[in-house]
Amino acid sequence: MIQRQRFTPLNIGLLLLLFYLVAIPLALLLVASFKPSGLPLDPGWGLVHFRDVYGDPGFYGLVGNTLVFALGCTVGALTVGGVLAWLVERTDLPYKGAARVAIALPMVLPPFLLAMGWALLASPRNGSLNELLKNLFGLDTGPLNIYSLGGMVFVETLALVPSVYLILSSAFRNMDPALEEAAMTSGARWPQMIRRIFLPMLAPALLAAGAYLLIVGFLVFDVPGTLGMPVGLFVVSSRIVYLATDQSGGTAAYGQIAAIGVTFLILLLGLAWGYRKLTAQASRFVTITGKGFRPRELRLGAITPVAIALVLLYFLLAVIAPLGLLLWTSLTPYLAPMSWDMLPKLTLDNHIALFSNRRLGAASWTSIWVAALSATIVTAISLLVAWSVLRSKGRGRMLIDTLSFMPLAIPGTMIGMALIYVYLTLSFIPVYGTAWILVIAYVTVYLSFTSRAANATLIQLHPELEEAARTSGGTPAYTIRRIVLPLMMPALAGAWIWVVAHVMRELSTALLLQGDDNTTVAVQLFSYWSGGQPNKAAAVGVWLVLAMTVVTVAWQWLSARRPQAPAQ
Amino acid sequence: MVKIENLWLTYPGAAAPSVKDISLEIKAGEFLTLLGPSGCGKTSTLRSVAGLETPTAGSISIGDTVVFSDKQACNVPTHARDIAMVFQSYAIWPHMTVGQNVSFPLDVARTPRAESRKRVAEVLAMVGLADLIDRSATQLSGGQQQRVAIARALVRRTSVMLLDEPLSNLDAKLREQMRLELRDLLKRVGMTAIYVTHDQEEALMLSDRIALMHAGKLIEVGTPRELYLAPTTEFGATFLGAAEIIAVTRCDGDMAETEVGTLQLARTVPNLASVAIRPEAIVVEPAREPAAVGSNRIAGHLTSVVFSGRQQQLVVELASGRKMNAQVDAMRNFTPGEAVQVVLPPERLMPLYKDPTP
Repeated sequence: MIQRQRFTPLNIGLLLLLFYLVAIPLALLLVASFKPSGLPLDPGWGLVHFRDVYGDPGFYGLVGNTLVFALGCTVGALTVGGVLAWLVERTDLPYKGAARVAIALPMVLPPFLLAMGWALLASPRNGSLNELLKNLFGLDTGPLNIYSLGGMVFVETLALVPSVYLILSSAFRNMDPALEEAAMTSGARWPQMIRRIFLPMLAPALLAAGAYLLIVGFLVFDVPGTLGMPVGLFVVSSRIVYLATDQSGGTAAYGQIAAIGVTFLILLLGLAWGYRKLTAQASRFVTITGKGFRPRELRLGAITPVAIALVLLYFLLAVIAPLGLLLWTSLTPYLAPMSWDMLPKLTLDNHIALFSNRRLGAASWTSIWVAALSATIVTAISLLVAWSVLRSKGRGRMLIDTLSFMPLAIPGTMIGMALIYVYLTLSFIPVYGTAWILVIAYVTVYLSFTSRAANATLIQLHPELEEAARTSGGTPAYTIRRIVLPLMMPALAGAWIWVVAHVMRELSTALLLQGDDNTTVAVQLFSYWSGGQPNKAAAVGVWLVLAMTVVTVAWQWLSARRPQAPAQ
Repeated sequence: MVKIENLWLTYPGAAAPSVKDISLEIKAGEFLTLLGPSGCGKTSTLRSVAGLETPTAGSISIGDTVVFSDKQACNVPTHARDIAMVFQSYAIWPHMTVGQNVSFPLDVARTPRAESRKRVAEVLAMVGLADLIDRSATQLSGGQQQRVAIARALVRRTSVMLLDEPLSNLDAKLREQMRLELRDLLKRVGMTAIYVTHDQEEALMLSDRIALMHAGKLIEVGTPRELYLAPTTEFGATFLGAAEIIAVTRCDGDMAETEVGTLQLARTVPNLASVAIRPEAIVVEPAREPAAVGSNRIAGHLTSVVFSGRQQQLVVELASGRKMNAQVDAMRNFTPGEAVQVVLPPERLMPLYKDPTP
């Protein structure tokens, strides 16, 4: 006899909430794609938008661009990040502490600022790097053009390397050298050991990282929006923003957007499903033996300087050069490449102007409270999701798990679009055009990250810690308050700060959902940039990086403070 | 004190039940051990008593209170049951000090601060940790964590204590010491204890009674002496210690026809499946004159002699080809190949009945 599982009030509540946050927007997006008017509640059905989209030869160019972009930055980031992670974790590279910081630091630089920095460096007209190369080699035109597919792939690769590094370095670190030693003592030589033991063990992590990068490559807006959109070079995410905001006819082409969105969503959900299978597999491979071990380190010998140069080159390209240019531009009165002649003209006017700019003050305040509120809500939901999925025995917990994971594969632009459909349809909920719709969007967008963080932490807490509280007379609610919450606090605080940092730099969703009084700092910065005020944009960018650095350092500090499990 | 009746437990999604029709009654102040190999349902039974698992059918009462009954649709939540529990992992909360860990059950019950402090000090003194009250829980050794876990279970002053393999994470020496300490402590406070273990030696040393489980079913219940010296099933005979099982082909009164010849039993036994004998009960003598009929003597020769100090392990090959292990005194000098005769004393032959089919 198989016992039926029961629905608990918590599970029902979470299911309703997640349906509202995730399933309903996607459903309305789907419905809208079949409506002639492009709005979910209007009458009639039809395939007109799909016919328009698929019938347009430009669509296949768009698909091609998106594929090249996503695959390009996946391969690029996997190669660069993999080499850097291997150098730091498995060789005797000197100054490892500094190398780790240099590789992880680009995380504080929002990708759209990285793209702006590179636009200032390698714009064909007056990029500083182009000027330098022109002078050095006596060229007439700058050889580099960052406003191209290649340029987009290059900048996105730089932006993705830290994520790859983090995934792969922990995979390298968790490999018990005893497994490799066992291969060697079984008579395997180095190449055999690498091929038969090392790579197969690493494969799940590599594949998972690849699938994750592919998803990100398909859905990011920052870099394509900054470098491709101004010259009419589109990928799917930037096309959606363009169609939704820049239509000359007045009303956005909602039907077309929905049709494009549905097409790509199917692809992305497939990828996300694959990613999930792979990470589940990867965790089976993780060899936590509890005893500390140092991985086997390869001696670099004569190529040590090359390895150091590689790390420095990455740091130069991903941080120093773009950030330097942003700083320079924030100090110049008008757009000018770096030169000695400009030095006397440098001024703090742009920065001083920021602090008396009312619009910017309002935007900062919006960014801060939206970030704090959405981070709080999404962290609280993920604590309940994790507890429900891992601890409750109620029905529907697999569905809760899936629904909370799905947003990983839904681009911010699509959540934004879907929410426009939802709140144009449910117009009795007056959030359209306000900052509240941003809060709802961010709770949805970051749900998969925080709930996975909460899951990963709760899974490490032995269930007997809670059972001991219950057999001591504690009710379930009391047990969560006194035992589960305090033990998970460092991890939850880490997730909270991560969300704050990401909301503060988030661009695409905020751009789509922009209304009269919900402009965020990122949107303001982007509008200065695209509106031809790069010096103003650069000044805002410098302060944003400063704020992000503070937040990120706090995050690092908190996530290093994991609850210490008692020695067994 | 605890009464379990016709308990069934099937985990959600599992095809086969983990606990099958268990009925047990534990008297007040008794130390009862649920013993069995891993996966036999002993922990599931214990967790059902704690309310950490919801049984599929049956009833459980603690004291005069019915805490679970499928017929009365009653299921008292864990925190409202008159129990305390010690876990295999100790489950010491790492974000609290020793004192905070132990006072937790009193905080839950909103015990006045002065009394709480007194009771915490009292139980910590009982487990010998009075000095460590302000120590962080993460700075304790395994043995100390174990004591904190026991103190936390004692401080609530419940009628029943449930212990789930509490000694299995300790090293061998500490485990032996803690065994006797734990038993003394529980007897001193007079708590009823249900103890789960897979270690038969631990069960024999600690328990007033042992309930032997296998594949979700209760196989035998009895005092350690009864279960070790007179098991009634083949599983019981082999799980509690080494045993030589001798198949019985025909039984006539107190005489049994077996695979090694006719054996005299101590009494008449109906429904006999086989007889068993512990290796230490087998007497090995030098071969002399042919064995007298009825004296349970069988001729054979030694195939292996292992001297281990306290005793000698012998393997005897009987005339029928059957090999038997015997443990004998260390003084007598045996050599491999030597012709011997084994004596199976009738009072040490344990009659076994057919195992209840699962």
